[in-house]
Amino acid sequence: MTDLAQNTLDGLFLGSSYALLALGFTLIFGVLRRVNLSFGPAVMFGCYAATWVHLNFGAGLVLLAMVAVLGSILAGAYVERLCFAPHRGGSAIAAMVASFALWMQFEELATIALPRHVYDFPALHGGAPLAFGALTLRVESLVMLLAAVLVCALLWWILYRTRFGVAVRAVIDQPQAAQLAGISVPRIFMLTFALASAIGGLAGFLIASSHEQVTPMLGMWSTMKGLLAMMLGGLGSLPGAVLGGLALGLLEAHSQWFFGPQTRDLIAYALLFILLAARVPWMTTRSAS
Amino acid sequence: MAKTTLFLILALLPGLALAQAPKADLECRFTGTDFVYDCTIRLSRGGKPLQGVKVTVGADMPSMPMAHNVKPVKAQPAQAPGEYKARLDLEMLGVWAVKLRLAGPVRDQLILHYEFDSKGASPAHR
Amino acid sequence: MDDYAIGVLTNVGLISFLALSAYLLLIAGEMSFGQQAFFGVGAYAGGMLTAMYGWPLPLAALCAMALGALAQFLVGLPTLRLRGLYFAMATLAAAEMARILFELFHFQRQLEGEPVGPDGTQGFRGIRWVFEHGVEPLGYLGIVYALLALALVAFLLVERSRLGATLRGVGEDPELAASLGVDVNRVKLGVAAAAGALAALGGVLYAHHNTYIEPRNFDIMLGVHSLAYALIGGLGTALGPLVGVVLDIGALEGSRVFHGYRMIVFGGLVALLLIWRPRGLLDERAVQWLRRRFS
Repeated sequence: MTDLAQNTLDGLFLGSSYALLALGFTLIFGVLRRVNLSFGPAVMFGCYAATWVHLNFGAGLVLLAMVAVLGSILAGAYVERLCFAPHRGGSAIAAMVASFALWMQFEELATIALPRHVYDFPALHGGAPLAFGALTLRVESLVMLLAAVLVCALLWWILYRTRFGVAVRAVIDQPQAAQLAGISVPRIFMLTFALASAIGGLAGFLIASSHEQVTPMLGMWSTMKGLLAMMLGGLGSLPGAVLGGLALGLLEAHSQWFFGPQTRDLIAYALLFILLAARVPWMTTRSAS
Repeated sequence: MAKTTLFLILALLPGLALAQAPKADLECRFTGTDFVYDCTIRLSRGGKPLQGVKVTVGADMPSMPMAHNVKPVKAQPAQAPGEYKARLDLEMLGVWAVKLRLAGPVRDQLILHYEFDSKGASPAHR
Repeated sequence: MDDYAIGVLTNVGLISFLALSAYLLLIAGEMSFGQQAFFGVGAYAGGMLTAMYGWPLPLAALCAMALGALAQFLVGLPTLRLRGLYFAMATLAAAEMARILFELFHFQRQLEGEPVGPDGTQGFRGIRWVFEHGVEPLGYLGIVYALLALALVAFLLVERSRLGATLRGVGEDPELAASLGVDVNRVKLGVAAAAGALAALGGVLYAHHNTYIEPRNFDIMLGVHSLAYALIGGLGTALGPLVGVVLDIGALEGSRVFHGYRMIVFGGLVALLLIWRPRGLLDERAVQWLRRRFS
């Protein structure tokens, strides 16, 4: 019974990181109607920038977090300008393939800048995990969960309590009408991208400091988990992204306990395939060119 | 024409497993320049050192097939029988699939997985 | 021609099968992130048949193609009603499942005191048919390109026929095609089987060229790359995907100028190219222009 509770707890924490990644993907997909295959790599770029700063200047955690976020925003802006702005009225596939091409660039850049396979990253919390009865809680995991909650609250506030948010929601629901109403759609795209990248950068920083290491696989990993969580929760839905991320985390934690890591991934993919094939309503309502 | 016919006949015959496949192992030293390694290859077949073979050494990264083609280099026979030397110029650290192409008296291809780090190479098992 | 050039050219040929398989699906309106799985099925099946059971390569290749076709058919069946990104994600999920299954697959036979066969994440080594039958690298290159030429001829014939028009019709506007009496599901499943066979053929040839395969060879990168080649080269003709492959593997790999920066250069080129030509180099308009010029 304790195992079940512990796994559920671990799943929620894991899921928070997936939720953050999925939120970034979903923001971009919801507003631009495009899949950004460079989202994970931009997150990795931020982490690598933070790693580089850490290696060369030994900076503190807060500064590293800021570097990670800024690095991701920078990478995101590069992707937005090169892959999404030029294809705004045009082909979604071209934008996606272009974003894949930039993914390749980021991967190679990472291996050139930091050629070793694994790099240490400072831990978020150097001490022992907390004990809560028979359950153990890692402080890093709590921070991750807290961060996810805060980001959701922040997003909600931005979307429903600011003028920018109104414009974003207008573009999500009725892009042509929004344009006619005078909203600068390109500006909204750019700012959404920045916001999504910032969330990704934060997620990356938290993931790296939770695992205390950074590897070149981070780009691919973030992309896969973010995409999976986004699809599970329903393409283009922000609450769905959070729920999808949490669900994925729970599924993985429990599957890993019973079956081990490879079967864990197998189950996640099998679930996605089955749900897609069955065309469950919450997953297949949004049009995805 | 004769070659083609011969090939077609050979192609359709059920394959026969030929004489013992050659075996190899690798020892590499980091030269100090990124990412160049001096490597010694030991070839053997049926337990005996394999000499007089033309060895070409290449490398590929398993996680990105055909992405990091390292230009193959010809290995030079070293002093000990069955030993060959080559200098490998890789593009990054990590696990590489080293490809040994054998020609001459023995034609074959061997793939060995080694982890290359700042000191040298060690066999990689995943 | 030195061994390195032969190697590069052979790789170009092998990946072309994969790019063509992605292209075929794109023509019929389906974007697949998962063709690498069928490439892998072909590689494993073909390799097992020759290395473990002594089958001749041509027979093993045919069997591998049949398995690839079946596999893609089985993936295509439940996903018939999915479109766009949903279909793409379903293929991605299926391909990753296949890759994990390859990782879990241990099946070896003792041959002359040595275990031969797939060994999970350790891979499958010793696919030595070409060495056991004295096939030189140049000869193998010839085989690969002969088969590729056959495939291209088939494509070019189909594209000029009613079948080709039907395929593109289904790709552009399935509802319209259906209203004109086309059995869209049948077309899609047929295309799936053909694409699976094509990818599997590439896979079997790859396994025998490399003599060693492992699950990591068949990951998403390979799949998205082949999709990218088809899209960059252009969807106007079957030669389009080949152009994409040649650009990346051929030109950039063959020329050692960009040693270490190849991906950065290629990635940038692709992004810029797509701004200029969103539908690829040899897109429908370019192909029509070329046809008018040279007829």
